[in-house]
Amino acid sequence: MAYSYPKDNREFIKKLEASGDMVTVEQEVDWDLEMGAIVRRVCEKQLPSPYFKKITDYPAFEAFGAPMATYRRLAIGMGMDPKSTIPEIAAEYVKRTKGKPIPPKVIDRKDAPCKENILLGDDASLFYLPGPMVHDGDGGRYLATWHFVVSKDPETLAINWGMYRMMVFDEKTMVGPVLPFSDMGKMFYGKYVPKNQPMPFAAVLSADPLSSLASCAPSPMPEDEFAGMLMGEPVELVKCETCDLEVPAHAEIIIEGEVIPNVMIEEAPFGEYTGYRTSPREPRTVYRVKAITHRNNPIMMISNMGVPTDEGQLLRSFSLGLEMHKLLESQGIPITGVYMLPESTHHMVVVGVRPAYSNIASQIANLIFGSKLSPWFHMVIVVDEETDIYNKDDVIHALSTKCHPARGIQIYENHVGTPLNPYASPAERKLSRGAKVLFDCTFPLDWPKSDLPIKVAFSTMYPQAIQDKVLANWKNYGYEE
Amino acid sequence: MARKEFDTFLLQDPATFIEDQELELIVRDLTPEDRRTKYRSFFAKAKVSKSSSSYPDLLWVRLGRGQLLEEPWSIEILKEVNKFPE
Repeated sequence: MAYSYPKDNREFIKKLEASGDMVTVEQEVDWDLEMGAIVRRVCEKQLPSPYFKKITDYPAFEAFGAPMATYRRLAIGMGMDPKSTIPEIAAEYVKRTKGKPIPPKVIDRKDAPCKENILLGDDASLFYLPGPMVHDGDGGRYLATWHFVVSKDPETLAINWGMYRMMVFDEKTMVGPVLPFSDMGKMFYGKYVPKNQPMPFAAVLSADPLSSLASCAPSPMPEDEFAGMLMGEPVELVKCETCDLEVPAHAEIIIEGEVIPNVMIEEAPFGEYTGYRTSPREPRTVYRVKAITHRNNPIMMISNMGVPTDEGQLLRSFSLGLEMHKLLESQGIPITGVYMLPESTHHMVVVGVRPAYSNIASQIANLIFGSKLSPWFHMVIVVDEETDIYNKDDVIHALSTKCHPARGIQIYENHVGTPLNPYASPAERKLSRGAKVLFDCTFPLDWPKSDLPIKVAFSTMYPQAIQDKVLANWKNYGYEE
Repeated sequence: MARKEFDTFLLQDPATFIEDQELELIVRDLTPEDRRTKYRSFFAKAKVSKSSSSYPDLLWVRLGRGQLLEEPWSIEILKEVNKFPE
């Protein structure tokens, strides 16, 4: 059964306008820093998305900033009520993605809006597109900030969609990090480079919200099938012009080309999702462009990474946390929920559990640190069921009071990390090395019941009758809420 | 005629940079005729001086995390170098 969801960005924008989650910017804005600065401030203040109608030097284009940087906009993207709570959105995501994968449907190119304009040869210049200079001092203009890259495994033919940042080098060249532990990294460096074969790619700029959500989910299946699960029906794809790949037919802009083996050029610095410019400028993976296709009046989506909260942090936290939820549940761990805090730049995850046996927190940490999700985070907080995992105050209270400063903390050395970790030494960044830590905020099961501290709160210290009476009279006492 | 302006990222201590020798570096064009191509990068064979007046064009220098040096250097671009297979 198909869910109700925006089929493309235009439908999404209309829904955001109707819900008051968007501001139309009629004044001309410059792609050179001004647009980035606006989007950054919008993220930091958690304001409605800016819809830029006029871009300096690029009269044929519009742009849309911070498309999914709030849970309200995520809910709208999923076709839900914008007032949905985080647990409601999470439950809907888990429900939709637990069933059978839904393979995509390839449609005729005449029905695909992304084929309304086709540029080949010299016309397919990256400077034809309004790639923003996102932050002052970045290594270049980042065309791809809210996008995904499509690639295909040459042996299994499995499709991968992933968000790999891409900096414009010249009119035909982009460059960006493809980390060796990523799906595309394993494919390109493991299967194409040894044969000195270029790898066809298609960068999808400004896809529909659910395809974008699927592309940043660390799912164990091809993301085009995962997108179908989120939609409840096959995602509509169309064949590329220059290679044997397919792309979402309703996307705004497609860049096609090849990833070149055995040639690397310098990329970065870039303002990254951690809220710092951390990873070094160094030789990285090179993309050469063969074709650009786009819709009429294309709308370029722009994300601006930095201090919380932008959509990279929010969606990655959301999907990483829920993939951990599914993993732990599949192993029979009695969890009550998993929530990764976007404010932690998806570095810290809170796992709620019924402490049914001793050292359950260690088991949880070992499972998720040992999964393919682990390079992207390093802090696990395990709390019992009396802590609200979605309430930061509650989590901080549990961490500060229930986690023993020596016995409650376990350090895991020699783990996989990323070059983007601000805490890592320059040498660790170069080799993608990291460490992990577990904060066990459950009380040991062998403590006598009479010695267990009892939480002192309105909800725990008073009989239900008193609580009901106080709540019923709250306004009578002179309080608004 | 106004001097052209470029910038580059220097991944070493500026104090150890050796001037006035032919070298290869990546530069970005900050003043192209068509503004849409601003920040286009290319490999160049060039000579560089820490003095802003030694060579025809200005070269702004950024360090590895994008930090801009206060004063520009100067550069003479001898030729653009293609690094990509045809």
